[in-house]
Parts: sequence; C-alpha cells; structure tokens
Amino acid sequence: MKRIVLWIILGILTSCEDVIDVDLNTSAPRLVIEATINLLEDGTATSIVKLSTSAPFFENQVPIVEDASVKITDEIGNIFNFVYVSEGKYESNLIPQLGLNYSLEVIYEDEVYTATEQLYEGSSLEYVEQRNDGGFTGEEVELKAFFTDPAGIENYYFFEGLSERGDHLDAYDDEFFDGNTIFGLYLADDLTSGDEVVFNLYGVNNQFYSFMYVLLQQTGSGGPFETQPATVRGNIINETNRDNFPLGYFRISEISTLTYIVQ
Amino acid sequence: MSGTISEEETGETLFGVNVIIPALQSGTITNEYGFYSITLPQGEYEVYYSSLGFGTKKIEISLSQNINNDLSLSTNTEELDEILIKVDIEKLNIRNPQMSVNRLSSATIKEIPVVFGEADVIKAITLLPGVTNAGEGASGFNVRGGAADQNLILLDEATLYNSSHLFGFFSVFNPDAIKDLTLYKGGIPARYGGRISSVLDIYQKDGNNRMFRASGGIGLIASRLLLEGPIIKEKASFLVGGRSSYAHLFLPLFNNDSKAYFYDLNTKVSYNINKNNKVFLSGYFGRDVFSISDTFSNTFGNATLNLRWNHLYSDKLFSNLSLIYSDYYYGLELSFVGFQFDSGIINYNFKYDLAHYISKNIELRYGLNSIYYKFNPGDVQPVGENSGINPYKLTNKFAFENAIYLDGEIKLSDELAVQGGLRLSSFNRLGQDELNIYANDNPIIYNEDLNIYEKANPIGTESFSRNETIKSFANLEPRFAFSYQLDKNASIKASYNRMTQYIHLISNSTSPTPFDIYAPSGKYIEPQLADQIAIGYFKAFENYSFEVETYYKEVKNRVDYVDDADLIANNAVEQILLNGEARAYGLEILFRKTEGNLQGWIAYTLSKSEQRTPGRTEIETGINNGQWYNSAWDRTHDISITAQYQFTNKWTFGANMIYQTGRPTTYPSGQYVYNYTVIPVYEDRNSSRLSPFHHIDVSATWTPKPESIRRWKGEWVFSIYNIYNRKNAASISFSENTDTGQNEAVRLSIFGIIPAITYNFKF
Repeated sequence: MKRIVLWIILGILTSCEDVIDVDLNTSAPRLVIEATINLLEDGTATSIVKLSTSAPFFENQVPIVEDASVKITDEIGNIFNFVYVSEGKYESNLIPQLGLNYSLEVIYEDEVYTATEQLYEGSSLEYVEQRNDGGFTGEEVELKAFFTDPAGIENYYFFEGLSERGDHLDAYDDEFFDGNTIFGLYLADDLTSGDEVVFNLYGVNNQFYSFMYVLLQQTGSGGPFETQPATVRGNIINETNRDNFPLGYFRISEISTLTYIVQ
Repeated sequence: MSGTISEEETGETLFGVNVIIPALQSGTITNEYGFYSITLPQGEYEVYYSSLGFGTKKIEISLSQNINNDLSLSTNTEELDEILIKVDIEKLNIRNPQMSVNRLSSATIKEIPVVFGEADVIKAITLLPGVTNAGEGASGFNVRGGAADQNLILLDEATLYNSSHLFGFFSVFNPDAIKDLTLYKGGIPARYGGRISSVLDIYQKDGNNRMFRASGGIGLIASRLLLEGPIIKEKASFLVGGRSSYAHLFLPLFNNDSKAYFYDLNTKVSYNINKNNKVFLSGYFGRDVFSISDTFSNTFGNATLNLRWNHLYSDKLFSNLSLIYSDYYYGLELSFVGFQFDSGIINYNFKYDLAHYISKNIELRYGLNSIYYKFNPGDVQPVGENSGINPYKLTNKFAFENAIYLDGEIKLSDELAVQGGLRLSSFNRLGQDELNIYANDNPIIYNEDLNIYEKANPIGTESFSRNETIKSFANLEPRFAFSYQLDKNASIKASYNRMTQYIHLISNSTSPTPFDIYAPSGKYIEPQLADQIAIGYFKAFENYSFEVETYYKEVKNRVDYVDDADLIANNAVEQILLNGEARAYGLEILFRKTEGNLQGWIAYTLSKSEQRTPGRTEIETGINNGQWYNSAWDRTHDISITAQYQFTNKWTFGANMIYQTGRPTTYPSGQYVYNYTVIPVYEDRNSSRLSPFHHIDVSATWTPKPESIRRWKGEWVFSIYNIYNRKNAASISFSENTDTGQNEAVRLSIFGIIPAITYNFKF
C-alpha cells in the first residue's frame, strides 16, 4: 500500500518521459536461483527450481543453466533429486510438510549454493469484487480479491493477479490489517468483460516479504522519490565463494488460487 | 550616536545600511531591525547613510553627548559625492570579518528570470557560488556539499521545515512579502545553531506605515496580492499577502476532477510603541493540496506564528525577544484502500538576543534560545465503513534543545578585525512511550551469511514520562573569523566554525519531499557535528567586486540508510540506519557588478562532496564496502551567470545561464529474471552520474508608463525558461517495456522550454 502512494505521486509528475541511450557498466554474471515449492489447497504441490544467470541490462534474453545438480533434503533425511526438464527448469515430486526444515543444494560450476527454508501458511482467497469506476482515474475496471487475515499473529503475503492484460504483483505485511478481511488489488489497462484473471495468494515470511517488497520497488519505479537502489539479496548462500553470491530465493508457501472472469 | 534607518516611502526598516564617518575612516551597518549604534569621540562630523538601491544621505552632526538619529532613505534621493562614498562602503565590507555570506534583496530576486515567470527565493540563491539545487523542479537546496536538511531556514526567525510548494516547483516564500535574505555558508555567527551547513535568514516586510499600498501579480500558474498600510500613521502598520496557484495545474493528463494547487498567506502587524520599544506579530500559513477524483488526497504545509519585541535598554544595547510557534503538517488520504496518514512536527521556540555596541571597536552579541519539539512520525487511521485497516500510531517523540551564545566583533587595528564566538548547545531527548530495547543496544544486525544488514527484533519496550530525559547531549561550538586588509580595496579573511545538528531528516529520496520525516537524536542516533574552515580573498573595484573562497568541511555522525531500507511509516528508523561521516571541499569564485545599467554576477564552484559509512566491525561491509562514495549533492562544476540590463526606462532584460555536473546516481549493471519479472542488478551506490544539467533563461520587463504619476503602476514580465529546450534528466528509470519486452532507460525531464507572461501591479 505504501508503494501505491509513490506510484500516484509519480503519476502526477511523469509528464515528459522519453527513452534514451545510456552507457552502463556491466557486472560479472551471477547464478540466479528461483526455487519455489507451492502447496496447493488440494494437498498437491509444485516443486520447481529455475536456474539462469544474470546478463547485461539491455540484452533481450538471460542465459539459462541446464547443467547444474539440484537437490532438496528434509530434516528427517528424505532426499529429493530435481531433474532437468526444459528452459532452465528442474522438477521433483516433493510435497512439503509444516514444521520441517528443507535444505536446498545447487552445484554449478563446482560451487555449492545452499539455503534452508520451511513451509509458511497462507490464507484462502474468498471472493472477487469488481468495480467499473475504479483506479486512480475513476474509469478503470478494478478487481479486489478478498481474504481474511488470522488475528493475533504476524502474517506476510505475496499476491499475484495474472491475465493477458498484464500481471500485478504485491507483497503485504499484516501490520496494518491484522485480523481483518482485506484485499489484493488488480488493475490493468483495457481489462474487459470476458477476460480471465487468475489470483494467487502465497503465505510467506518476513524475509521474503522484505525481499519481494524491495524487488517490486525496483521494477519500473524510479523518479524523484526513488530509494537508493541496491542489488537485493535473497536467502541463498554460495558456500564455496561467499563473494560470488547468487540472486533469487528459495521459498516454500501455501498457495490459494481463485480464477475470475471479468463481468 | 544611534538610531533606526527606514525607507522614506514605506517606513520599512532597512537592514545593511552603511553609516559612514569619512573623517574617522569609520562606520557601521544597521542590523536586521534597521538599528545602528556607533561610538565616536566628541566633535563635529559629516555622516553618510547609504545602501544599494537607495540614494545616499549626508547629515552634519555635532556630537557632545549621546544622540539619536532616526533617518529615512529614499530610492529617489539625489546621489551625493558618489565616488567617495562608494569606496568607503566597499571598504566596510572588505573590513568586516564575516565571510561566506550572500545577501539578496527582494528587488534582486524579482529581476532574475525563472520558470513560469514567478520570482523565487530559492531559485535565486542557487545561482550563488556554493549553492546547488537538489534536482530539477526541486526547491530544496544544498550548500557547500551539505544535505538539504542541514540548512536552517528562518522566516522572521521562525524555523521552516519544508521550503517547497508543489513538490519543489515553487518555494514557500512570497517574493512580494519579503524584505531581504541573508545566506551564511560558512563562518556562521554564534547566534545561529541547530543546522550544520548553512543559515538562510529571511525577513518579511513590516508593512508600510505611511500610506496604504497594494501590489500583486497575475501569472500563468499563480496569482498574488499584497496589502499593506498604516493602522496608526507612522506608529503601527499591517501587511497581508496571499498567493495561490490555479487548481488545474499539471493535471491535463487526467480529464476528471483532479486538483493540484498551493496557497500561502503572510501576515504581519508592527507597532512602534515608542522610541525604545517595538513589537511585531507575524504569521505564515501555507498548504499544498493534491487530490485525484476522491480516491487520493494529500495536504501538507508549514504554519508559523511569531511575536517579537525590540527593546532598547540604552543607545548601546539593543534587544530582541521572540516567541515562536512553528508547525509542519503532512496528511495523506487514500480512500480506495481506506487509509489516512497524518504526520508532522511542532515546535515552540523562545529566543532572546542582545546586541551590545560597547565602543567604536567592540561589538558584542549574546543571547539564549530554547526549543521544545514534538514529533509525530505518523498516525494511520481507517477511512470509510468498509476499511480493512486498523488504526496504527507511530510513537510520538519529544525533545528540548537549548543554547546560549556570546559573539564579539573587535577591530584590533585599522587592518585587522576579528570575530569570535562560542555557542553552548544541549539537547534533551524527553520521555516517550514504547521506546524499543534491543539486545546489546543494537538495533541493526549484520547477517554474516548473506552479508546484509537486517532489522533487530526489539526484546522489549520501555515507556518514560514526558518530563524525564532519556538521553542528553551537550556541545561547545566555537566560531572564529578574522579579516586582514591588504590595501584600501582588498582583504583576506579566514573562518572556522563548529556546528551541531540534533535532528535528522529521514528521507528515502535524494531531494526533500513531503514524505520526509525528522528524527531527533537519542539513544540510537548521535547528533551531527560539522567543522568547517574557509579562507577567502575579497577585492572591490569601482563598479565590481571579486571574491574567491575555499573551504573544507567534515561532518561526524552523518547517518545513511542501509541497502533496501524501507522508510515510509517506519516506527523504528534506528533499525535501518548506519552511522558514518561526510566531507566536502571546494573553491568558489564570485564576480559581481553592482552598479550601472548592466548588473549581475558570474559564479563558479569547483567542489567535491563525499560520504563514508564503514562497517562497525571488521566483518561488516558497511555501505559500499566502507569506501568513500559521492553524496547525491556532489557537483564537480557549477557555473551560474545572471545579468539584468536596463535598456530604456521602459524595457529591462534579464538572462541566466546555469551549468552543473550531473547528479550522482546508481545505475543497473545487469539484469536477471525472478518470478517472470525483470529485476535490475545494481552497481555501487552513486557510482554513475546523470548527464550535465544546464539551461538558459531570458526575460524582458516592460513598464508601459514609467513616468506616470498616477498611483497605479503596472509592468509586464515576459520570460522563457530553458530557451533551447534542454531535456535535463530529473531521473532515469530502468525497466522492461511491457509492450515490447525490451529493457529501456526512460528519462524523466520536468521542464522543457516554458514561455510565461506575468502582469505585476502596484498602487
């Protein structure tokens, strides 16, 4: 919500924008690990690790990594080996359980990358409310996907609204809405009747919330109110060479999904 | 001999009038309240009174006892023995140990062309050497490599916390209501304190006590009207000035009922009770309002109220007592998320200052100052019936700042004058609710695995009563300056000052915006300490002056934010701050022409401003691995040229040229994809620069009937800002174009070429 405020102010000022050429420095490529295990409400799970490397800023594509070894070990000794599928994706049949620690190990170019995580509970998406006079201009279709936050405990959420018209991602801390029914907001240009929007709500921890919050600020923001930007560090460590730290995150979440057809 | 000098036509007291006795090669200058006092041997003298923009007046006195000589100067007085006087005046400035100071009158400010044709105090001072602006469209300013929050901004002695309207498009000072301003960049006298970089001391007019007058202007963006006149002729006067912009400003983008406007109101009542007593009551109220179709509204601004009493104990002892209330408010309502946020700062300020003219060669100033602060960092309230927001209050903070000072100016010989002062300041952080307690008193933890800083979890909180002191600080601030006259028209000066600043601006951006929240020093944040030395050479020619100064400044306890800090509505800023240091040094050259049809100046500054935030232990990285990095207000080169040319009595032309090295910024050095989103990889903080900032502006002022004897006088001001339409980058953002999938650098530039027309009137 804090970020929305920034966006509005930027909107007022952003009247003369143009695309320019800028000579940028290029830093050495780093391994990017997107290790995501989602426990669905029906008890099944998706467990995928995507590997790529960072690239110069103006390149069209980032290189994928096909030849790494990926496994997760839980604290009671089960080992889940991830198999390479395609496009940098490695998969396994892991179904996460509450209260267990899971340790990720990726070996790439003789360097060992590790992280330990556990499953975080989320809340269920309940219903979607549509307004046709929403947004900042009062003329956009605005969707609100509601959920109820459990009272008395700290919760953090990662929210996605996905459609052909555009994706909206957000991260929430229940500091301001503990115990209340609250919503994730979805706005997109040209959203019209019949469009399908998929909402996902993930339970995450404080560390992932902070990670995602800053990361979202760095995508397309800027302007006179920018924070000092810096490369965001996730929760994965390079055990072999600390300075060659990886980018990305290892996250295990409960996910609630709701699909909505725009009326 | 003592007295008060005022302006003939309006009764306005005049600051900085030279009072010269050529026979003794001696003289003095009137103070902020127009008062002067000089001790002379008995005898008969010719005394000259002179001030730039006014005629010179000569009187003959026969001095056998203390006499009072109140006098008024007129803009129309015939000039007397011009050459002789000028030389003497300039010698006075050359001889005065005060250096690193610039004074601008309201008239000078109005002659400088600016964007939208609206005269602007802060845009005018950024044309001076050593002063840069915080970025295009930003009204805040930076002095000698210091941050914008390190400037003490005083309006009739009341502190202002925010100097900008409309996110910096205008400054909060109505140029019609202002008498003059003084900017101290170094060698700051001991009577000022509380900020470490500069003092901008602005005085409002007292109001015309001879006759009723109105003045105003109608412009494309804003209009203003000022009324002033006597309540009791030559005894009491009032001034009321209002200014407002039009509501549609900047919002042609949104074709609905959105608003963005500002207004401000200046008021003052002055009363001359008798020769020895004067009282002033002045107030300022300004607000900015933004709203977008009922979904979003934002209001912020300053308010000050100030009661002052000038009292003469004797011909040699002048005093001023001030009682000041000052308030800054920031409110935000987001009705579509059911959210209202209020924050602010309130202070009560008591000041008592005395000026003691002991002898011809010794002048003392002493006094005291007490400020009580209440900080409201934020209050979140639900709005509307269906709001899912819980009320949330960020903890209020309280503090008490006190100071006493003594400052003396002594002429040791005809060539050498010294100014020495000492200020003792103290700061008591007073009791509050729920002050966080951390293990080992450490609010910020270093994560050795990830090499990042993380917020420490408080292990408890502690509440204190309001009159308890949680933490106190005291500092001695020595100030010293001398001038040595090399010959009749040249001198060298040197100065040293130590300054202390007890409140810190917690801002996530590089320019001051209303999101800014001040945090007082306390258990986890130390006060900022600055030491500055400066050396200068000053030379006066007949119609020109030339100044060159060099300075070096060091600041201790300059806090900076760790990477990825979240500052908005943060109740524990100590969890995201690291203590560091700053340094700045530079060379400033000012060449100024003050007489004739062509007037103006050329200012050049070569400077460096850096910051360093090392880790607290050997393992910690600090910021940028503990290396020095450019501060956001580092500008290697800064050139400003401003000129006004009186072509005929109907036409006056003005022009500005500004060139500055680009602002330091942080660019991406790569990209990666996470959660199907392109994320930049960044280089070290502030290791790149925006492209250089430059523009040229011109203006023409047409007075259709300069000789008209009618009371109504009008003039048209035509101006063009940024005449060659330079697209100066306010910022560059790097992101993926969602239509093409290609990464782009998008430049945001605020002002292209802007023609404007303003009509100003007076009657």
